[in-house]
Amino acid sequence: MSVGRAATRVDTPAKATGRARFISDVVVPGMVHAKLWRSPVPHARILRVDPARAARAEGVLAVLTAADLPVKDLYYGPAFKDQPMLADGVIRYAGEPVVAVVAETAAQAEAALALVAVEWEELPTVATLDAALAPGAPVLHARLVPAAHFRDLTALRPIPSTNVCHHWSYARGDVDRGFAEADLVVEQTFTFPMVHHYSLEPHCAIARVDGHGITVWASTQHPFPVRKELAEIFGLPLARVQVIVPYLGGAYGNKSYTKIEPLTIALALRVKRPVRLALTVEEAFKTVRRAAVRYRLKTGVRRDGTLVARDCEIHYQLGAYADVGPRVVQKSAYTAAGPYRIPHLRINAYGVYTNTVVSVAFRGYGVPQLAWAYESQMDVIAERLGWDPLALRLLNVLKRGEPLMEGDLPIDCDFAEGLGKAAAQIGWNEPTAAPRRGKGIACTIKAPLAPSVSSAMVRMHADGSATLLTGTVECGQGARTALSQIVAEELALPLDRVRVARSEVGMSPYDQATSASRSTTLMGLAVLRAARDVRDQLLTIGARLLESERPALTLRDERIVSPRGERTYGEAVAAHFGTGGELIGRGTYRGERGHAPLGGEAPFWEVGMAAAEVEVDGDTGRVRILRYVSVADIGRAINPRECEAQEEGAAMMGIGHTLFEQMIYDGGQLLNPSLIDYRVPVMSDLPEEYRSILVENGDGPGPYGAKGIGESGLIPTAPAVANAIARAIGVRITDLPMTPERVWRASDRARRRAAPAEGPST
Amino acid sequence: MLRPFELCEPASVAEASELLLRHGEAARIYAGGTELILAMKEGLIHYDYLVNVKTVPGLAGVRLDADGSLRIGAATPHRVLERDPSVSERFPAIARMEADVANVRVREVGTLGGNLCFAEPHADPGALLQVFDATVRLERKGGARTIPLERLFVGPFETCLEGDELLTEIVVPPLAPRSAAVYLKFGFLERPSVGVGVAVTLADGHVADARIAVGSVGPVPRRMRDAEARLQDRPVADSEAALAEAGRIAARASDAITDLHGSAEYKEHLVGVLLRRAFQAALAAVAGSERR
Ligand SMILES: Cc1cc2nc3c(=O)[nH]c(=O)nc-3n(C[C@H](O)[C@H](O)[C@H](O)COP(=O)(O)OP(=O)(O)OC[C@H]3O[C@@H](n4cnc5c(N)ncnc54)[C@H](O)[C@@H]3O)c2cc1C
Repeated sequence: MSVGRAATRVDTPAKATGRARFISDVVVPGMVHAKLWRSPVPHARILRVDPARAARAEGVLAVLTAADLPVKDLYYGPAFKDQPMLADGVIRYAGEPVVAVVAETAAQAEAALALVAVEWEELPTVATLDAALAPGAPVLHARLVPAAHFRDLTALRPIPSTNVCHHWSYARGDVDRGFAEADLVVEQTFTFPMVHHYSLEPHCAIARVDGHGITVWASTQHPFPVRKELAEIFGLPLARVQVIVPYLGGAYGNKSYTKIEPLTIALALRVKRPVRLALTVEEAFKTVRRAAVRYRLKTGVRRDGTLVARDCEIHYQLGAYADVGPRVVQKSAYTAAGPYRIPHLRINAYGVYTNTVVSVAFRGYGVPQLAWAYESQMDVIAERLGWDPLALRLLNVLKRGEPLMEGDLPIDCDFAEGLGKAAAQIGWNEPTAAPRRGKGIACTIKAPLAPSVSSAMVRMHADGSATLLTGTVECGQGARTALSQIVAEELALPLDRVRVARSEVGMSPYDQATSASRSTTLMGLAVLRAARDVRDQLLTIGARLLESERPALTLRDERIVSPRGERTYGEAVAAHFGTGGELIGRGTYRGERGHAPLGGEAPFWEVGMAAAEVEVDGDTGRVRILRYVSVADIGRAINPRECEAQEEGAAMMGIGHTLFEQMIYDGGQLLNPSLIDYRVPVMSDLPEEYRSILVENGDGPGPYGAKGIGESGLIPTAPAVANAIARAIGVRITDLPMTPERVWRASDRARRRAAPAEGPST
Repeated sequence: MLRPFELCEPASVAEASELLLRHGEAARIYAGGTELILAMKEGLIHYDYLVNVKTVPGLAGVRLDADGSLRIGAATPHRVLERDPSVSERFPAIARMEADVANVRVREVGTLGGNLCFAEPHADPGALLQVFDATVRLERKGGARTIPLERLFVGPFETCLEGDELLTEIVVPPLAPRSAAVYLKFGFLERPSVGVGVAVTLADGHVADARIAVGSVGPVPRRMRDAEARLQDRPVADSEAALAEAGRIAARASDAITDLHGSAEYKEHLVGVLLRRAFQAALAAVAGSERR
């Protein structure tokens, strides 16, 4: 048995010994290096670029602006073709690449950057939602060209002559009547700041152009969509674009879709040498972030606790370019009301351009920002009604089989079971052991990417070992291990007889994306089918060799076994082909188009539940997470240890945006693009006690009943902690992160309100 | 990206001083490099010559003087101070403070001298060592001077060191009997946001001596003598009100600024909180040591 076992990761030995190849280990003969001159100002018209001095510097091969790039189309993007490889006359955010310098060494390229002369004329900056939405605000993109790469992104609704690049709306029932019927209406506005992914490995690309076409080594989660975009930009058939993805040093969405690959290729075309462009951590901060969100949430509820109406108005602060922001907007807004039964619902979601770093996909895909609001408000409602927050959730949460959205997959899990486990583990009904402690709970849901496509191939070699060809990218999530386990399981092979070939679009069958918690489940189905294809072939051959009926045959310990004898796989393959040869199995997963409001039908819902117990230092505002419980409803754990690792990592990442992380802007200037000033969670921030609980009911669509995991763990973190803080000190915080100063200020205000006669306390 | 530089390895303080003199602005002392190399990598500064003091004999190490003073070589890494038995027995507050500087990688190579000479406002040792009335020895070729640590700090990233001068030794006198020192810090970024050091000496139920220093909040770590005066000669039993007053005075005197660590108002508030907690912990420490 391979599946269900906490198998050691197949990449552990290579990674532990430093032999694993990451993109920084790739050296292409003759390669030269690029560095980017980035704009110091957030919004400007470029008047003049003088490359002359830089071009004369030692080792410099080329100093290039947008006009110098040999491309059919300077613009790229998964939603709109709105982002130029280098600023094209207009600078739209501080940090935007304007000039590229290519030199023999990276040091020479960097030294020459100081010699690049750029003149510009500043334009008024819209760095905040308010500024971007104000009447008469400068409009960052006058004309939007849809990219038309993805079916769900063909119906985008920009609001003309504004900075809104996509407005998604949804309504059911009659919200106004619902509020009229409610006994209590609660309305609040929650904010979630800009956050950077911070993967250890920043973006990197190495491009080579030769008679065969384009080869690019890329740090990307989306090799196939990147290939498609590159083929369009450079006017080549798909077959002549090769994207090779070594191990990724973390991704979390920041390496989704096209990033620096087109520019790197354009530079390689110009200098006629392979070019490497490797960003620094600071540059990664200036390349990608998560969308900030302002969510005005109004809920009507009856005295008996039932929710009747919800009105959701959500503004996503996207950056200077849309990237995949419009999909983040609609996918997350789709579940903006949470996993609850709400007859009257209205959702209006707006993606707004601002003069800030581009917001891209980020683990959770917009849902953490919204769950922050709706799960905080559930507790506010409970408090106003005098209800227990857990009981209020249990009353309203959707049950298995109930619809979340008409036409989409009905709820496929038991929230009550998961919440019950979280509550039991945190000791929900037991009093806290000390003052200033409190417990909070949260319950969230996320829609997967739908519909999507994955294919896989399994090759069984002459000695019975197998190679898996899959486009899934290993970015530390353990995909290679889980997928290998599926092959090993189906073919009765030990795990070390299964190898995953490196991910190259020229060799691996098509895969849409390593994202949206889909690989083990949906690529997993393709792998399962490919392995079963091989299994089938083995059984057919075995039936002939062993003169048995197929139903009498089984695969066991690398052998085909029948009551009349057995053959090793190697023997079977040899007998079948005469000499060498191999069996090739194919498998494909193709999602249903469906009739849900967003199109596509969810193959599963990703649900995340959490409970936290905190202690608040009222004098300093410091929040300590004493205990944290994470519950994932995953159908079936292919590898339980890796599932727990996903949950732990996600919860830790969630603790980051809950308590510390935010990109701080002053006007259009990012003030903290480094780890000294941008605070990521560290080991000492670990909760004193951490538990992750996997609910396995075998009710998922994936192999052996698996559902997706990986994002759920960070979605409920912030509201669970905020709810715990509220119950500890009676203070409700509506803005993230809940820094000590914010908590102190909120509790100080509450103290003053409670005892107005008292002077300031120290 | 780090640009090339020449690494000089002098055999003595005099030779190091000579190198500094010879190369002027193009040279800089290099100890653990945890600050210097970082700043050079960021391209914020550049030196053509780095003068390594870690290889100068006698500049690293800790010893106790006959009079009980702790003598710390400028090139002593934080990690040594954290773990040296004479430090943790005689100066437990220093050992504890050192154990909480940065992270273990920085402590392993970063030196006390480098920390003080960099004069980054967000740092710990500069505040705590002042409540011990620590002094520093500054040497150059053909001369040396000893000054109170307090006077080393001129402003953010600025010390009174002359161009060819090195910090060679930090001398920490022992506290009087019936004394204890405590250092508390608060912060949530990589470096401390607020640090308060307190030393108290008790006599006949009175505070015979109170010393307070505040760091990280303002441009330089400073002794807070007006705040100390509020606590001086008070009966221990009724120090509570004086403590609040001392906190307010220290907060005002701390020159708090608003930055990424927080607002000036919040930092001033924290000075009061940490001062109260540190003072009470110091009282408890004296009481505790007397019970033993
Ligand atoms: C991630 C990180 C976190 C940190 N957190 C903290 C913290 O929590 N608390 C804290 O207090 N500090 C903190 N620090 C600072 C740390 O303590 C210092 O980096 C370290 O002590 C500096 O010592 P160094 O030997 O590496 O100095 P170097 O980098 O070698 O030198 C620093 C400066 O001092 C000069 N210099 C060094 N030695 C001498 C000398 N003997 N005479 C004259 N000039 C000299 C150098 O020329 C240079 O200008 C942190 C640093 C980092 C990188």
